[in-house]
Amino acid sequence: MFFRLLMESFRRQRRRKMLAGIAILLGTTAVTAMLALATTIGDRIHKELAVYGANIVVYPKADLLDVKIGGVDVKPASGGAYLKESDLQKLRGIFWANNILGVSPELRVNQQAFPAGVGAPSVPATVVGLWFDHDFGGMKTGAAELHPSWKLEGSWPSLAGDASSWQVAVGEAFAKRLNLHVGSTFELPKDSQLANGGLVEAQVTGIVSTGDDLDSAILVPLTVAQAMANKPDAISRVEISARTKPEDAFARKDPDSLSPNDHEIWYCRPYANSIAYQIREAIPGAQAEQVRRVEQSEGNVLKRISGLMWLISAAALLAAGFAVSAAMATAILERRGEIGLMRSLGASKGAIAFLFYAETGLLAVFAGTIGYLLGSGLAAWLGARIFAGDGGAAEAVLIPVLLPVVVALALVVAIAGSTPSIRAALRMEPSAILREDG
Amino acid sequence: MAMLSFAGMLRRSLVHRRARSVSALVAMTVSAGVATALLTLYADLDAKLHKEFRSFGANIVITAHANASLPSDVLARVQQAAGADALAAEFAYAVATTDTGTSVVVGGTDFAAVRRLDSWWQVDTWPDPALADAALLGQRAANFVGNEHAVALAYAGHSVTLRGVGRIKTGGDEDSRIYVPLAAFTAWTGVGPSVIELQVPGGAKRVEATMAQLQKELPDVQVQPVRQLVEGESRIVDRTHALMYGAVLLIALTVAVSVLATLSASVLERRRDFALMKALGGSQAQLMGMFLLEALVLALAGVAVGFVVGSAAAWAISEGNFHTATLPHLSVLPLVLLLNVAIAAIAALLPLRVLRGLQPAALLKGE
Repeated sequence: MFFRLLMESFRRQRRRKMLAGIAILLGTTAVTAMLALATTIGDRIHKELAVYGANIVVYPKADLLDVKIGGVDVKPASGGAYLKESDLQKLRGIFWANNILGVSPELRVNQQAFPAGVGAPSVPATVVGLWFDHDFGGMKTGAAELHPSWKLEGSWPSLAGDASSWQVAVGEAFAKRLNLHVGSTFELPKDSQLANGGLVEAQVTGIVSTGDDLDSAILVPLTVAQAMANKPDAISRVEISARTKPEDAFARKDPDSLSPNDHEIWYCRPYANSIAYQIREAIPGAQAEQVRRVEQSEGNVLKRISGLMWLISAAALLAAGFAVSAAMATAILERRGEIGLMRSLGASKGAIAFLFYAETGLLAVFAGTIGYLLGSGLAAWLGARIFAGDGGAAEAVLIPVLLPVVVALALVVAIAGSTPSIRAALRMEPSAILREDG
Repeated sequence: MAMLSFAGMLRRSLVHRRARSVSALVAMTVSAGVATALLTLYADLDAKLHKEFRSFGANIVITAHANASLPSDVLARVQQAAGADALAAEFAYAVATTDTGTSVVVGGTDFAAVRRLDSWWQVDTWPDPALADAALLGQRAANFVGNEHAVALAYAGHSVTLRGVGRIKTGGDEDSRIYVPLAAFTAWTGVGPSVIELQVPGGAKRVEATMAQLQKELPDVQVQPVRQLVEGESRIVDRTHALMYGAVLLIALTVAVSVLATLSASVLERRRDFALMKALGGSQAQLMGMFLLEALVLALAGVAVGFVVGSAAAWAISEGNFHTATLPHLSVLPLVLLLNVAIAAIAALLPLRVLRGLQPAALLKGE
């Protein structure tokens, strides 16, 4: 009997059910879309922020002091300490290895470049060895990935070709100085000691504009620079881009002064400081530091934007809650006649309330689920439109954990919205309701 | 008779069916409040985001051409060209030798300006501005100094002893430098400032305009953007802006449709009133006017309350998130008003179209 009442109510009163259903549907759609966007906004903005470059830098601990002004080495250190390129594999073993999104080692060599043409005087130049599209355990990474603001004309150099010719990319200013174009050549010494090398032809595959001191440098694959400096496996600096948690007071604590328990917690949170700490542990002789200009400000921007999204989601939740409960109240108010009729036929208050709550609940679950699907689709569409061209933008936006949350919210709001109307209708004399509604 | 009864009927209709009027008023208030809050936040969003991006520091770097110093009045001219809200700090650099015999870059600057510009510098204690010989030591540079509290440096035969007051930690080049006040630096080395770091608030357009202006007024210096900052800022602000736009539309639509559905259902509920009035001789136009007026009164009341509530919500959100207040924007009021009146009018008129064809007698009989 109860089920028949329930089913008949849905079958016969389509228009009235529609009103409440549409309200719940729209409300859950908006809330799902906002929550789905709010939960993914952190990653999306983080990807955008990658343009600011690495947030962790690693250099040899025993290094001499950099004597650099405006990116130019005023007194290039001779000798000095190096890290090992082969040690970088150890980064894949640290606790937060999956948060490392990019790695870019470099080795700088001061060199003389010989422009093509007989008798042209040599020009001092910095040769920078870098990774280009390097396969780092399945992740394509390197200098270009860490510096999305670099603009390249042509292509990055590769190790292709024989020993008598190297592929290089040159900075914009350097290209202008030597009047180089993509495809032109000049000569580089094979070795840092001019005496025992001879010259090698350097073929320009790309001209790069970086906006910093690399504009006047020669960019070569790391192995070439190592060969040139006669230091196999050496790197002088590593830039790392990692996904981090914005720093809070706990993150600034000195890990070695914490209690073992707190140390564990500190270690297992993806703060830039913790990741740097783990890198120091993993790579012998390395000093890892967060680049505060990038890390601190990124944390700030990230916090604000995701905070904004969460607050807007809360506002959406509140507004949708109001709208849905108002719609439910109206829908029940309209059906006072039914309540009067049922009571005059002898139904108990409890049975009537139960019937109405069951209807409401069924509606909430049904409309809430559709709303969840629609909202997820909407979030995916909005996200893809706004953050288009990020590469891999089409990640799954269907967040399963939101389904129970959204449906439960719809249930609570719908039941809360209909309660006052049901109570009011039950409190009235059935005869009064029936007479009023004719 | 018509005018008298109009006002009277309106008042009675609102007072008599109090529960229904209140629920309609709540619905209108919610829609007006949500619209106000979102539009107010939206209007302020770009300014607020650009402000957050100021923490990235300088976005324009002005340097002297090789081996030259900047002209002496350049900072004032830069500040004038860039506007009062721009932050500028000048730097002078020289390579000195520490007492342990290591070469170190020493920078002369105005600590107060740097503190405002480069908020990411982690400094234990900023030196007292009255202290003329204070020095801040980069955390790497500090390892190459014999005595951190009495820093002995030599430059081209002139030696000086500075009072080290603290360390700087940035993770960048600053870590291997020592910074001293510009006046003390110039008195010691005779080298003037060679770099001005300038931060112009606002997006890429403003930065470009400022750069063009600077280049015109100061033809003998190099003006360069910090490219990744300028590009990144515009991209992120644009995208957040677009996201917010989508959210505003979505939420406004949801609330509008729900409120519309609620209101029109409650108008539809009143078909007996409608039939009675028609049976008593009311014309279609009169009835429509009556229902419309009622809806508009509710809509206006909703806007009045909703604007206050929504502005308060916007204020709370931006105080909580951006730590700066967003004051109520009167400019959003017309849009909110339009939205609410449109919702109310549609909610009142839509059911009437359905009712128009009905016979009053049939309705009153309950058929």
